[in-house]
Amino acid sequence: MKYMLLIYDRPDTRELFSGPDGEAMREQMDDLMAELTASGELIGGEGLADPAQTRSIRAQDGVPVVTDGPLAEAKEHFGGYLIVDCDTAERATEIALRWPNALFASMEVRPIMNAGGGEDV
Amino acid sequence: MSSPEAGELEDLLRRLAPQVLGALVRRHGQFDACEDAVQEALIAAARQWPSDGLPDHPRGWLIAVATRRLVDELRAERSRRTREDVVADREERSGPAVGDAAMSARDDALILLFMCCHPALTSASQIALTLRAVGGLSTAEIASAFLVPEATMAQRISRAKQTIKASEMGFELPPDDDRPERLRAVRHVLYLVFNEGYMATAGPDLQRVELAEEAIRITRMLHAMMPADGETTGLLALMLLTHSRRAARVAPDGALIALADQDRSRWDRQSIDHGVALVERALATAAIGPYQLQAAIAALHAEARSAEETDWHQILGLYTLLVRIAPNPVFALNRAVAVAMAKGPDAGLAELAAVESDDRMAGHHRVSAVRAHMLELAGDRDAAAAAYRAAARLTTSLPERRYLESRAAAMQTIEADVETPAPAPTP
Repeated sequence: MKYMLLIYDRPDTRELFSGPDGEAMREQMDDLMAELTASGELIGGEGLADPAQTRSIRAQDGVPVVTDGPLAEAKEHFGGYLIVDCDTAERATEIALRWPNALFASMEVRPIMNAGGGEDV
Repeated sequence: MSSPEAGELEDLLRRLAPQVLGALVRRHGQFDACEDAVQEALIAAARQWPSDGLPDHPRGWLIAVATRRLVDELRAERSRRTREDVVADREERSGPAVGDAAMSARDDALILLFMCCHPALTSASQIALTLRAVGGLSTAEIASAFLVPEATMAQRISRAKQTIKASEMGFELPPDDDRPERLRAVRHVLYLVFNEGYMATAGPDLQRVELAEEAIRITRMLHAMMPADGETTGLLALMLLTHSRRAARVAPDGALIALADQDRSRWDRQSIDHGVALVERALATAAIGPYQLQAAIAALHAEARSAEETDWHQILGLYTLLVRIAPNPVFALNRAVAVAMAKGPDAGLAELAAVESDDRMAGHHRVSAVRAHMLELAGDRDAAAAAYRAAARLTTSLPERRYLESRAAAMQTIEADVETPAPAPTP
């Protein structure tokens, strides 16, 4: 089963990573990535640029309107994701728990929809 | 020498792959290096044979080419690692000719299957390695069948090979005491491969390797090696009976068609006849087991000329036996459906309550879908709609979600056709 692990950042995430605990956190991330690569569970993942570079599109009276900047100022913002293929949801959760953001911001684990299906729904 | 057709060539190479690998590992040890060498030999054959024609002895050709690759690789490795004990170790293992003649190609394939499905490997690795080493598929083909990047699949295979290397298991059949358990693991891996393929046929990508057919092919091979093993026979029968419905289970637009709504004239009769014959023979001659019972249930569905003529009482009897010999909440859920169909929806709902109390089924979409179906049968359309919608939110399959949403919508159509068939369970 494939899961997306959504990684949420705080506005000061970059400072955290360049601060005194930064090296330990980067190491933690590298170790986890190495483990997921070796186990054949890692499907992919990306990090996103700073939210200041966002362009947002929102419907206004049925018309899409483009603005610069994120939709709303938030305490946390979506910062990147991993896609993993795991035997169980528990395993996917365990991986998310070990991503550094779980300690200072938040993570979400969400199953990915697939195109297969059984007739015994 | 004749030039083989592409399909024929592929069949031949896949059939020979485990025999060639078996011959190599038996002679040289080093499963991981042999496996790479055989893959290269298969690629060379696929490239050369169509233009050069089939060699007189295809198996011998492949063994010769693979051996050459292996020797080259070992030589390169030896010059990388100068330690002599590596060589000594290898010579010792290849030492006394265990007698190629004594051990048949059939045993080789069987030993390979046991090796690839070794309990030390993760389920994902067992599947990947079985398809490559026994099925003769390339890493790219396996990756595309499972919709993962090739690098991910390559990693699973290489990790599986490392685990096998580290375990230092010999190239021999497991001891008699371990056989039943190890055989159970092999059957389970083949079942998982089949299921993956069968479920995927609803997907849009028709270019993928047919995993269901691949699983049937390997199970057929296993069955030929041990025709008296009832559960292997049962597994093959279950696959054939389930696979017989493949043309009828998906609409041209990709929508799933429930068993009760399928056009039964599109079921593959030959596959059904073969499956029925197998399961009858197994039940008559072997110790009973879960695959045989599931196949017997599938056979009752397959033999019903219409959904209405399905013998639900007999199906209920088989499910009752199944949950007794193999307690498992999914079987219990299917049994609840059979109760509803045989004794009415109220009896089914009462049965379902017991299944729902099992933590392992918490949040499972099929519990809600089954509840919805029973409520629909009971005539409680509002509650049925709510349960269909709950099931739609819980499934991770797009076609299933679409199907369940359409059922929910149908419950709320005032002039709804009461005769609209509801989803029926499959074994």
